[in-house]
Amino acid sequence: MVLARALSGTVFGLDGCRVEVEADIADGLPGFHIVGLGDRALQEARERVKIAINNSGFEFPGRKVTINLAPAQLPKEGSGFDLAMAAAIVNAAQGRGLPPDVAWLGELALDGTVRPIRGTLPIIAHLDRLGIKRFYVPAANVAEAKIATAAPVIGVTHFRQLKAHWDEGARLDESPVEPVTSPAPTQHVDLAEIFGQPHAKRALEVAAAGAHHLLLVGPPGAGKTLLARALPGILPPLSQREAVEVTSIASCVGMLPAGAGLLDVAPFRAPHHTISAAALVGGGLAAPRAGEITRAHRGVLFMDEITEFRRDALESLRQPLEEGRLAVARTRGHAVLPGRFILVAAANPCPCGFAGDPRRICECTPLDRQRYRARLSGPIRDRIDLQVLVPRQPAGELLRSTPVAESSAVVRERVLRARERQRDRRPQGPLNGALTGPQLRREPLAAAGQTLLEAAAERLQLSGRAIHRVLRVARTIADLDERPGIEEAHVAEALQYRESG
Amino acid sequence: MDRVVALGDPDYPERLKQIHDPPARLYVNGRLPAEPMIAIVGSRRATPYGQRAAHRLARDLSELGVVVVSGLARGIDAAAHRGALDGGSPTVAVMATGLDRIYPPEHADLAQAIARSGAVITEAEPGTPPLPGRFPVRNRIISGLSLGVIVVEAAQRSGALITARMAAEQGRDVLCVPGSIENPLATGVHQLIKDGAKLVQTVEDVLDEFSELSRARARAQARVHARTRARTRADSGPQDPQLLAVWELLDWVEPRHHDDLAAMMNLDIKEVNRRLTLLEISGYIIGDCGAVTRASRD
Repeated sequence: MVLARALSGTVFGLDGCRVEVEADIADGLPGFHIVGLGDRALQEARERVKIAINNSGFEFPGRKVTINLAPAQLPKEGSGFDLAMAAAIVNAAQGRGLPPDVAWLGELALDGTVRPIRGTLPIIAHLDRLGIKRFYVPAANVAEAKIATAAPVIGVTHFRQLKAHWDEGARLDESPVEPVTSPAPTQHVDLAEIFGQPHAKRALEVAAAGAHHLLLVGPPGAGKTLLARALPGILPPLSQREAVEVTSIASCVGMLPAGAGLLDVAPFRAPHHTISAAALVGGGLAAPRAGEITRAHRGVLFMDEITEFRRDALESLRQPLEEGRLAVARTRGHAVLPGRFILVAAANPCPCGFAGDPRRICECTPLDRQRYRARLSGPIRDRIDLQVLVPRQPAGELLRSTPVAESSAVVRERVLRARERQRDRRPQGPLNGALTGPQLRREPLAAAGQTLLEAAAERLQLSGRAIHRVLRVARTIADLDERPGIEEAHVAEALQYRESG
Repeated sequence: MDRVVALGDPDYPERLKQIHDPPARLYVNGRLPAEPMIAIVGSRRATPYGQRAAHRLARDLSELGVVVVSGLARGIDAAAHRGALDGGSPTVAVMATGLDRIYPPEHADLAQAIARSGAVITEAEPGTPPLPGRFPVRNRIISGLSLGVIVVEAAQRSGALITARMAAEQGRDVLCVPGSIENPLATGVHQLIKDGAKLVQTVEDVLDEFSELSRARARAQARVHARTRARTRADSGPQDPQLLAVWELLDWVEPRHHDDLAAMMNLDIKEVNRRLTLLEISGYIIGDCGAVTRASRD
């Protein structure tokens, strides 16, 4: 009996898991078997690994080869075990063991080239915590791997490199980490490029500063999408921890560009309204895989035509809006995925889109409007602190030259300062957008502001929840104004972003 | 409590007997008030302005003890019933369906509120569904019960205009609330005004028209002083020069967006929004998540 073990890993949900790859070569009918709850891609690895070994200067053993992936009860997906399997097989064939504190990740091409895999960052992070001292990863994943570990990371481009290493004792050097630049966020819009719309822009600024959810109401073509795309550009840069989270998620879902290191720009996700609930929260047949909600983590989830989304998809927003994460259950287990984002929802004012437009008559009956509004359920509305009407821009207005609007960079400075003030008050606690009633009551509120709020509650018939929304927004406006307490002017401005009756 | 009132019964409404084809029996949920009645009718697809006008007239009439009659439909009808309930007097809803088939269904609560002090009535048998032919026939009861009919927003060839025509045939006065000349829902109303219907601006315009409402008129006069003062206050805008500057740029009917105000005044949007809230809370303007109009007296 000849046996070799190579350490590897996979992801479940977004967490890295340790997987031990055992290769056994025994006498018997020549064959190649993989056991240990592998998916379809893993079964196909037999052909890839066999041919890659033969094409890299080794010889695939003409005996009975069995690969076991442990722990056996963990569902395993994908092609990331190829390198570990090949390493275990060729070493077992030569009666050699492999060091126990080294891990192998990578997919093999038929010619022995090592291809990048998904989930490198969370896998390495997990194995690093388990005390692994050396990592062999695809060259394209080195930058990502280095984020997660201080141990040597060796980028492998071809399986043949390892033959020289094992057979002739050639040194494999640690790959140098080149400074990586994140890809420029091309989809972001600068506020200066948006004509007019000061009311909506201010709402964006408040949303960014306090991480408030925002609803843009307006007729088709009013520029709601453009405004939403401007939001990531005024958000603060991600902290180291947040960036690791975002990069991990991108890595797991295969959205990390090859060779990319840490992503430090807030993601922007804009799922189409035909999306299924499973695609929004995260699907996967056996193991949960991150959906759009998780992909928008630490960034912006833009839902255009929010009333057109399927009801079950909309309702799936409730848990992340309340807790910043969501539990996903699948046949082979469940996972808690992160999902703390700023929701920017856009909707028409009514089914025909012309309500409130002075130039067009709205043809909808009150019942039509009521039904249309009711598609966005109370629990979701309750979480949306800011609502603004985005008017249609008259064509003539768009062509007229006007004073240049503030750029995103200027607004972002104010947002940064407002965020700092919130962090100073609550180093660990939530941002203003997630403050609860009791937390709000402890915020200093000037007497005049209190009087104004009471008058507004009476006059405008505000519910208790509506008052909390106004207070949360007023708190952020005070932070933008760099004031310690909420003053009358802050409450007065905040009231203009409330939900209309 | 549902009751049936037949044509010969003592509590059959007096005025309804006088039309040429009075219903043989009325199904009544609630109590038919004996006070003089005025009908308010109009489009189901009313504009916010039309609904405000209907609500205000109905409330003012109701405060003075006049019973408002309407058809429980969406839009103007519902606004009139709600205004009447706010005013404190009973109101009467005349339906085209059976008492057990409230139409439109979302007005079930409204119908219940109406029946608590006033009455929901119909000549249709219980179980009658909403049938298109029933509505014009129902309209003759609305005008038949009333001294006169106020039309708020009615397009040409609309149900409200049918009610107005029936009213004229029954010898009832037709009064009209004018709208914007750009509003297609005002064309029917404006045609009526051209044909000689009286233009109504305030509740006083209605009271002046009917000798039967002299008691209400006397009550109205007693309040007129207080009212006038409040109205002049609202009509001439706020005292505060900062707020007045915003208010002067606003219209009574057409909503204006916050962005336009910021551009016209060359003011920061923060400041515009602050002033708008103060105006809104003191009742000078009505806001709708980004667009504002002046508020009529209140």
